[in-house]
Amino acid sequence: MEAAAMNWTVAVPEIALALCAMAILIFGVLRRQDATFLCTMLSLGALLLTGVLVIGGQTGAGFGGQFTADAFSAFVKLLILSGSAFALLLSLDYNEREGLARFEYPVLVLLATTGMMVMASATNLMTLYLGLELQSLALYVLAAFARDTLRSSEAGLKYFVLGALASGLLLYGISLAYGFSGTMDFAQIARILASPAHASAGLVVGLVFILAGLAFKVSAVPFHMWTPDVYEGAPTPVTALFGTAPKVAAMALILRVMIGPFGHLLPHWQLLIVLVSIASMLLGSLAAIGQNNIKRLMAYSSIGHMGYALIGLAAGTHAGVRGVLVYLVVYVFMNLGTFACIIAMRRQGRQVENISDLAGLARTDPGLALAMAAFMFSMAGIPPLSGFFGKLYVFLAAVQAGLWTLAVIGVLTSVVGAYYYLRVVKIMYFDEAQPAFDKRGASLSFVAASTGLFTLLFFIFPAPFVGAAEAAARVLFG
Amino acid sequence: MIVAIAFYAFALILLASAAMVVTARNPVHSVLFLILAFFNAAALFLIAGAEFLAMILVIVYVGAVAVLFLFVVMMLDVNFAELRSGYQRYMPVGAAIGGVLAIELLLVVTGWQVAPEALHLSLGAAPAAATNTAALAEVIYTKYVFLFQAAGLVLLVAMIGAIVLTLRDRKTSRHQVIRVQTERSAAATLEMVEAGIGAGIGTLGIYRPLPATADLEPADNDPHADDPHADPVDAAHGGGAHGGSGHHAPEAR
Amino acid sequence: MEAFFATGFGHLVLVLLQTLALLIPLLIGVAYLTYAERKVLAAIQLRKGPNVVGPFGLAQPFADALKMLMKETIIPTGANRLLFLMAPMLTFSLAVLAWAVIPVNEGWAIADINVGVLYLFAISSLGVYGIIIAGWASNSKYAFLGALRSAAQMVSYEISMGFVIVTVLVCVGSLNLTDIVLAQRHVWFCLPLFPMFIIFFISTLAETNRSPFDLPEGESEIVAGFFVEYSAMSFALFFLGEYANMILMSAMTTILFLGGWLAPFGIEPFTWVPGPIWFILKICFCLFIFLWVRATFPRYRYDQLMRLGWKVFLPFSMIWLVLTAGVLMIFGWLPGAGT
Repeated sequence: MEAAAMNWTVAVPEIALALCAMAILIFGVLRRQDATFLCTMLSLGALLLTGVLVIGGQTGAGFGGQFTADAFSAFVKLLILSGSAFALLLSLDYNEREGLARFEYPVLVLLATTGMMVMASATNLMTLYLGLELQSLALYVLAAFARDTLRSSEAGLKYFVLGALASGLLLYGISLAYGFSGTMDFAQIARILASPAHASAGLVVGLVFILAGLAFKVSAVPFHMWTPDVYEGAPTPVTALFGTAPKVAAMALILRVMIGPFGHLLPHWQLLIVLVSIASMLLGSLAAIGQNNIKRLMAYSSIGHMGYALIGLAAGTHAGVRGVLVYLVVYVFMNLGTFACIIAMRRQGRQVENISDLAGLARTDPGLALAMAAFMFSMAGIPPLSGFFGKLYVFLAAVQAGLWTLAVIGVLTSVVGAYYYLRVVKIMYFDEAQPAFDKRGASLSFVAASTGLFTLLFFIFPAPFVGAAEAAARVLFG
Repeated sequence: MIVAIAFYAFALILLASAAMVVTARNPVHSVLFLILAFFNAAALFLIAGAEFLAMILVIVYVGAVAVLFLFVVMMLDVNFAELRSGYQRYMPVGAAIGGVLAIELLLVVTGWQVAPEALHLSLGAAPAAATNTAALAEVIYTKYVFLFQAAGLVLLVAMIGAIVLTLRDRKTSRHQVIRVQTERSAAATLEMVEAGIGAGIGTLGIYRPLPATADLEPADNDPHADDPHADPVDAAHGGGAHGGSGHHAPEAR
Repeated sequence: MEAFFATGFGHLVLVLLQTLALLIPLLIGVAYLTYAERKVLAAIQLRKGPNVVGPFGLAQPFADALKMLMKETIIPTGANRLLFLMAPMLTFSLAVLAWAVIPVNEGWAIADINVGVLYLFAISSLGVYGIIIAGWASNSKYAFLGALRSAAQMVSYEISMGFVIVTVLVCVGSLNLTDIVLAQRHVWFCLPLFPMFIIFFISTLAETNRSPFDLPEGESEIVAGFFVEYSAMSFALFFLGEYANMILMSAMTTILFLGGWLAPFGIEPFTWVPGPIWFILKICFCLFIFLWVRATFPRYRYDQLMRLGWKVFLPFSMIWLVLTAGVLMIFGWLPGAGT
């Protein structure tokens, strides 16, 4: 009986990834020097292998219901894996030039990815917490990876302290939820909450704390304070990673927790999510206007994007969840592309990060300018770029669920947001030309081109992505 | 009866020492009170019959974690008067937040109501026959093996992180190669010299270890070492030559 | 009599009597260990050792104790008075406390608890506090340096010690000290787990700050390390604590690896000797090695000490643990599977 309930094969992708990370760690330690490139390549191979395992893997519940592999988790995991892989590619060139080329970097990325995958599959509060902690701890270290620069150390420390606080909130919420429901298992909690009499105040308070802890991880307002500083201070490839894979994992976790065990409490949390979403969208669009540093701009932009994604959750419907998933796909790729362009901003061997440094890029490097412009238009949500479709699906879901106000505010804030995205385009195309950037590495061009093509051509073939998101969303609603 | 008295005594000391942790003026005293609090918590575990947890609490927290705390606190030169300077100013804000939290907690506690179904979901008591160490092992390595391993990964990340962020390979430091040291034989480092009775070693000059290379003459072929009547100046010169030829950096550093 | 001991008060009296019966021989043992150390060192160095006070110098420990008692306890200016005086008491009382669970013979333990090994391990891991507190409270650079060294050293070696203990536990299947001894009826663990025995013994040297790991004291570099400021009775308590710890660690080695009170081979002429005598003999054997090591080896350098602990002992004991567990698993020798 025990053996049947264990069913450990559902976790094969995670196990494989963790083992690969450890093997690469040992390889790097024994090899001593110039192992970074090899280790990065091996890590990319490991991510690819894991992706294959996810696609071909078994589905079902494992470890006595603590872990589940289903269409939802597979969708999210593939997105996480591609986000991590692209972020790793971005680091290759940057780390070499900044003197950060150390083999621990890919290993930490792999371990963080393992954590995110565990988060995507978590169907137990303890699994949730451990996955989250594994991911966060690796990311804290990565944020401080450029340990000799003050800003990076500060970013790491800030992220760590605030992240620890968020973990504390989450744990407090979990303990309340456990105390009042008597179980950690998502399915059991859902069963208990099925009768409204059991929705005690304690459980609701616990839910709020859990939500607060998770909102920190997706940097939704009012738990966004760390985002601009950490984005700015961390090495840029790390920022690219922060903006993509962990956001996907945390958002997936929010979806699963809110729809799954606490689905019956929808009336309790819907207003909360609506407020968080509105606040995030407003702050993301208004605060970004005054920014000069492009990494800070991206930080506020990501806060805003998470606000849009939360609209889908606020709807609390099947269409809403589908919208969130499509939004995440679109968001991850355009974000990665933008960061590829940002990493390419090097002058005389030094990274430059001001928006004014992009001035006249259209004349000195038309290819890069074109890619950047495409990403900016997409982020602003201009059709027919992918960003438009992401917004379309969540707004549609909100309207269908009767959340008119939310949809209207979303549209309005995207108009405000369009202002600063288009300002970047204007600076690139119409301002006085600055000296050209250094020659960029091939990996950057590859990432920018592939994600750029995805962003441009998404409107031709949205069907497979929407279809997969549809299937994934259906899992959550049983 | 005795158990109840012991429980209240330990609980009281626990609370008092926890309060002292935050109020003590000297940070080292704070850590020592923290240790006292750990001990009392361990005692409470013992009263509850969880002897394994009690021992692990002492080993891990008192034996290792608090030692590091103490270590850090003793080395840091923190000006605590300065840290407390904002106390008066922030007091109202802190009190307000504390008050709100207290009210919320009260609301939660008064709304306490465990779902009746939940009571059947608890894991059930450990089998009475097994000690609680064995009972714990049973579930950790079977039912919760995934979580156990995930926790292990978290610790691995912490370890890698600590090394990545702090280990610096200094170019100036000289590493000891133990193998080279142990492979050195006595013949490579020692030279046996016959010293005449009553002659002292003054006539023999200063001896240094010979280089390990084979082309040097063996010690007993050295004319100066064998000749007790050698001219002192000559001997000194010979010794000097030895010193010169033996002047090489030792392999072991 | 039996009825009296069965009552609550009687039980208390019984425990007190048992404690005295254990403590008095222990304290005498500590006193004579100092004497034995001087005699053994002297013998190894071709000297005579103490031979003036009493026959063969046998009254020497008492003369020393009297001298220490008569001297003045000096508390340095700027020292933290309370902690300064507490540290030596802590060191000594911890060394004595641990004896509560040591079984001298079958059923001869004051408290035969389920988690005896963990208790011993916990108490031995607390020993570091006496040293750190002493170093800090003395308000002296040398003392503090010694304390820092010792804290790092003891915490490091505890880890490999923990793995060694776990290896033994895997072979026994119980944390109870009596069970551990009884599991060695057929073969003492020092034979099948010989490398672990060596690691454990060397780690106990480091745990007790004995030579060649006596860096916390390091007379030649940091004068006397953490107890440089101590004098008279407070110094004597540290001194006695160190020797009591040596005896404790020897007792632990005996229980874990040398079969506790069991006679060698369990055959006729040996079994005539009662268990406690064997126990004491084995402790004496371990103590002799402690002294022998002190007379033979030079002090380790600090980085070498750390290297040995973290890069040699820790990986090796981990690998050996996995190996042991694997062998037990494959051959189906795991103790008490299912309970």
